[in-house]
Amino acid sequence: MSSMGAISIWTTEPEALLTMRDISKSFLGVRVLSHIGFDCRAGEVHALCGENGAGKSTLMKILSGAFPADEGTIVLDGTVRRFTHPSQARAAGIGIIHQELSLLPHRSVAENIYLGREPSRGGVVDRARMGRDARRALSRLGSTIEPQAQTGDLTIAEQQVVEIAKALAVDARVLVFDEPTAPLDVVESGKLFRVIAELRATGVAIIYISHRMREVFEIADRVTVLKDGRGMATLTAAQATPDAVIRLMVGRPISDLFPPRATRPPGAVVLQIQDGANGHLAGINLTLRAGEIMGVAGLEGSGKMELARAIFGDEPFTSGEITLLSGAAAAWSPREAVRRGVAFLPDDRKSEGLGLRQSLRDNALVVRRSLSRALALPSRGNRAPAIFDALFRKVEMRAADVDAPVGRLSGGNQQKVIVARWLAAEPRLWIVAEPTRGIDVGAKAAIYGLLRDYAESGGAVLMISSDLTEIIGESDRIAVMAGGRIVVELPPGASEEAIMAHAVHGPQVAEALA
Amino acid sequence: MTRGLASLRRINPTILVFVVLLAAICWMSPLYRTPAGLLSLLQRAAPVVILSCGQSFVLIAGGFDLASGSLITLVVVACALITGGDAGWTWVALLASYGIGAAVGVVNGVIVARGKVPSIIATLGTLLSVKGIAMMWSGGAPGGYLPANLRFFGRYVWRHVPLVGRFPVAVVVLIISIAIMAWLMHGTNFGRLLLMIGDNPRAAELAGAPVRRFRMLTFVISALASVTAGILLGGFSGVSVDVGTGYELQAISAAVIGGVVLLGGQGSMLGAVFGGLTLYALFTLLNLVGFPEPMRVAVQGIILIAAAALSARRGRRI
Repeated sequence: MSSMGAISIWTTEPEALLTMRDISKSFLGVRVLSHIGFDCRAGEVHALCGENGAGKSTLMKILSGAFPADEGTIVLDGTVRRFTHPSQARAAGIGIIHQELSLLPHRSVAENIYLGREPSRGGVVDRARMGRDARRALSRLGSTIEPQAQTGDLTIAEQQVVEIAKALAVDARVLVFDEPTAPLDVVESGKLFRVIAELRATGVAIIYISHRMREVFEIADRVTVLKDGRGMATLTAAQATPDAVIRLMVGRPISDLFPPRATRPPGAVVLQIQDGANGHLAGINLTLRAGEIMGVAGLEGSGKMELARAIFGDEPFTSGEITLLSGAAAAWSPREAVRRGVAFLPDDRKSEGLGLRQSLRDNALVVRRSLSRALALPSRGNRAPAIFDALFRKVEMRAADVDAPVGRLSGGNQQKVIVARWLAAEPRLWIVAEPTRGIDVGAKAAIYGLLRDYAESGGAVLMISSDLTEIIGESDRIAVMAGGRIVVELPPGASEEAIMAHAVHGPQVAEALA
Repeated sequence: MTRGLASLRRINPTILVFVVLLAAICWMSPLYRTPAGLLSLLQRAAPVVILSCGQSFVLIAGGFDLASGSLITLVVVACALITGGDAGWTWVALLASYGIGAAVGVVNGVIVARGKVPSIIATLGTLLSVKGIAMMWSGGAPGGYLPANLRFFGRYVWRHVPLVGRFPVAVVVLIISIAIMAWLMHGTNFGRLLLMIGDNPRAAELAGAPVRRFRMLTFVISALASVTAGILLGGFSGVSVDVGTGYELQAISAAVIGGVVLLGGQGSMLGAVFGGLTLYALFTLLNLVGFPEPMRVAVQGIILIAAAALSARRGRRI
């Protein structure tokens, strides 16, 4: 740590465009930020790392004027600023690209970019000029999105570009990216990184928040790590190795993230698919045995989510033979799948996994209740702290308030509630989609451990993921999908390059490679 | 324990409003200052309270049931025509009424759950159809009258009851109805899952819940509650083709006043009961102060909007 203290950015380095000094903040007497110092120069990407609850969002909310700091100062371009409202921060040139985009889906791209600041002539919106300006703003980001297109029709990646153009249209000089790649696949993320690189070249100061370590190392010039509301260190790109950053974040090295692989040879066949096909999938052949974790990798649109949904009966196969636990799986629906011992962890836990206004208890019990008789008294569940204690200990979660709405929990804890829900149902096959999307490193390690424990106890796991680190770190076998087919099956520990080659180039090249 | 306290705190405003209205009623009119007076208030509030509870099942699961008012009319007309004033036919009429109710509920449920028609439209359609059937059947004019043993449920009052003096039969019907519905909502897996279905039907489906079947059942419960309310209403107001008009909106207003959130996911039977009582107490108070009758409808509209706005705010606050 002493070597890090020696990096003196104040004297030897160029003057920062933005400096946050000695920022402290408490909520209801709980200190969430304690004397944080953070700065960002023009033409720099400065990554902000830390687990959920480390204080990243609070710090960024103070910067964007959502609420004031208790102590400390914000200096922007040599002037001390105090924002009491987000509009002031925006006017001062601070733009934030949130994970949840703020665009109006039914308006055009141009209308979104100039929302509230439409160019006008004689009191009427000058649509022609708005379209021209929008086109210029987008092309500056290397994008060819049509300004008249309806925003809701664009992909998430394109919408993000629109959001960036919207921020730049108010002359943003500091841009905060909050988990921008969470909804993107590898190719789209690559495009976003090129946009960020161009912004950096034009002198924008960029603050980048992400849970994906790989991309932080790919694009950041400096990395600041927060833990429990304190600044742990600011590292240069050269100093910021994955191990160093993760150790600062969680106090343990990256190798501890994944549990050891299967110790026993795989058992009986749990799931077998022969020539499975539907509108999105073709020629799916797959065998999954008890005790195995099979990773499924692929780009967005490769069919990997459709495979999960087909097996779970949400959008079932229309042809082919599917055998689950030596019984045919015909006329399949999610309810039938659940009754036959299949569990499903959806990739979008807010829209498909949780009733956000319902209590933690109700969310954790929903599967058990669905499987029990409708008129049975749920009294056992209602006074079942013993079951919960055991489950929550298993998912390393403190059941602080089982009656609180689950929407109040952090992403990691929400995911653990869904995991607990399925553990309570003792499934035979578990389909997990993006199991650690948007959750912090500590919660990730917990979920990896749980999946492995589950497999070791005789379960079978099909893990769909866009995160290659977890595909490689957790899987016993790796299936790569492209164009609605499984193009190749790779052994554990396959390289990222090998997976990507198959995922990007699809079946033809995979055959050529074979 | 903490759960009970928490839900009490959430519903508290409605109970408080009811108590204030009740105090105002008692202050205005000495009739209500006795146990018998309060019980007769309960007697007349019973249909709205039962409707509010039944409607809450549909609302909590994310739907609307607009057909309940015209179902009340159909039940009253059916009872009058089946019995023709003959007390011997009463039990047949009662069975037929519940049969009709179950059928209307199943039709609503199937249209909404299988046909994927928004419930507000589907039940608006059933509202018109059911009303049309009632008009056709009665020939457009209220025919016949209800035998005394059928009107017993809505109108009869036991006298010389210890402690309270007079005790209306309708209050017993009310208590039994509330008990059954409260058990269904809060004492069974069915009820607990309805809240989840209303909050996030997709998540409920992917967790294995029988979403369509349960949604269908909410319409059946609401329809059976409407039949019960219809039998009580027929008991104290007699046969007419207008007997049920407007009750569907009263039921929705009452439920929303009681904290049931429109579009689902939040609500309780305690809230639905006090929502119904509050609405009825308000109408009684407006009567006592001599508020013009037509304006009552306007006031109800304002209350519905205000309660919906309040519930939307409550729903957002996670």
